Amino acid sequence: MSTPHRPAPPPLPPVPPVSGPGSPQEVPPLPGTFPVDPATLPDAIREEIEAPDPVALDTAAAELKDGLNRCPKCGATDIRHKPGSDVLVCLYCRNEWVGARVEEEFGLGEGLDQLRGTVIASGARAIDADVASLMTFKCTGCGAEVMVNTESTMTARCHWCRHVFGVNEQIANGAVPDAVLPFRIKKDDAVARIRQFVDKRRLFALKAFKDEFSPENVVGVYLPYMIVDGNASAELAGKGEILTRTYTRGTDKNKKTYYDADVYQVERAVDFTVDDLPLESSRERGNLDVKVNTQNIINTILPFDTKNAVKWNASYLSGFTSEKRDTDVEQLRPRLEDQLLSIARAQVEGSVHRYDRGVRWEQERLDVHGTRWVSMYLPVWLYSYHQPGKNGGLLHYIAVNGRTGETMGSVPVQQWKLLLTALTVGTFLEGIALWIIWAGA
Amino acid sequence: MSDDNGLWLLALGPTGAAALYWAIYRYYRNTDKSHAFERETEVVAKPVTGSDRKIDEVKGTQRTRIDGDNLRAYRQRVTRIRGDDG
Ligand SMILES: [Zn+2]
Ligand SMILES: [Zn+2]
Repeated sequence: MSTPHRPAPPPLPPVPPVSGPGSPQEVPPLPGTFPVDPATLPDAIREEIEAPDPVALDTAAAELKDGLNRCPKCGATDIRHKPGSDVLVCLYCRNEWVGARVEEEFGLGEGLDQLRGTVIASGARAIDADVASLMTFKCTGCGAEVMVNTESTMTARCHWCRHVFGVNEQIANGAVPDAVLPFRIKKDDAVARIRQFVDKRRLFALKAFKDEFSPENVVGVYLPYMIVDGNASAELAGKGEILTRTYTRGTDKNKKTYYDADVYQVERAVDFTVDDLPLESSRERGNLDVKVNTQNIINTILPFDTKNAVKWNASYLSGFTSEKRDTDVEQLRPRLEDQLLSIARAQVEGSVHRYDRGVRWEQERLDVHGTRWVSMYLPVWLYSYHQPGKNGGLLHYIAVNGRTGETMGSVPVQQWKLLLTALTVGTFLEGIALWIIWAGA
Repeated sequence: MSDDNGLWLLALGPTGAAALYWAIYRYYRNTDKSHAFERETEVVAKPVTGSDRKIDEVKGTQRTRIDGDNLRAYRQRVTRIRGDDG
């Protein structure tokens, strides 16, 4: 054998695929897993990855804006959401109350296996395109008339008396959700979580990102979701293989392993119900194409404790921004069916363990017997960073679940630095390989 | 491989570099993350039913798994059979 040459630098794929491995189309990895053993990495990288997650702060109340609507006890309009809780407080008489939970109010937890047809809560009805997004409201505080653009906002403030009022039942046609899940995680807590997330990702972060990083700019946003209950049956058909014999053939120098197996036609069926499956009902938020956006970050912080959602009340919205729903039940149905099929596949996995060489599903069938759709606002803290680049660059999000505090983010990478490090480590490994080959020759 | 000199070790550098690149890239960008609805949704399922029928045998394959194994690729859709009624 002649002296081996050092191979050319490895080709490194620059962009992750839209579907398949590495995309949200793949079943996501278990939390806390890292594909390379950190012990084999250089110290600085290992320390960053293995650094413990510090405990996030939960500090006392920050200031919130005026309330809206009226106190059920004294009728005052000075109402606000008590941070860190689901409670509304009347600042005039100190009365505290929580809106009725939709779970009980609408009987959402019950009879899932009896669901038939499509049940749509009033707030989940199709959005009427004819409704003008500019609406005039009569201020209940002072009587002035105020214009609100419901395209961009669901709450507004009277220019005259600063009374804040919400776009409550005034708009028909499904533009107002059925329920809202109030923020529980306070802003300081969200800031701390975002800071921790980024602190563990500084080594290879884009320099401009680090320079401009200011998590205090996080905004609380109510994002529109459809919360779906479903009752369905699924059938699957395919092939499975069971190993019957393993043997090797060939000479000592050229040994190969061969397998014999029995092939089975495998069929499975399962009836199941799902409770509170959340679907993004904003077209943009539901687009999880990781090549053009980082919406998968916001998707990742699901689920929410949607059982605790309360009947829609604009009081919960003051101090936060909100986005409007722009898709209807029929447009979301394909995504629901896709997820139901995935759930069915996960459900039957345990019944085919005897096929130790795996199963290849070839056909699937889904019968959705019934669904129930509730339109809901869910609370998310969003920190965004715009990375300049071609095609308008990329908007990176770091998102904190406003109830559970679950945090996920996309931190822009300093490509040259990461490439250089990868190549350096690769060259080092190559050196070891050459040494082993040389020593063994 | 046509050799027994351990020349496959030469792949160590390139694959190591690519693996490290992707591991760190995903650690920062998290493109592979999404809501794991398969394991995080409350699902109540009746017992799974079905049938198993031996139809063939494979002899002397070098594959360690069935061709096209998609048992754990829950989100990979296969041919959808549409019936007239549930
Ligand atoms: Zn009061
Ligand atoms: Zn007014």
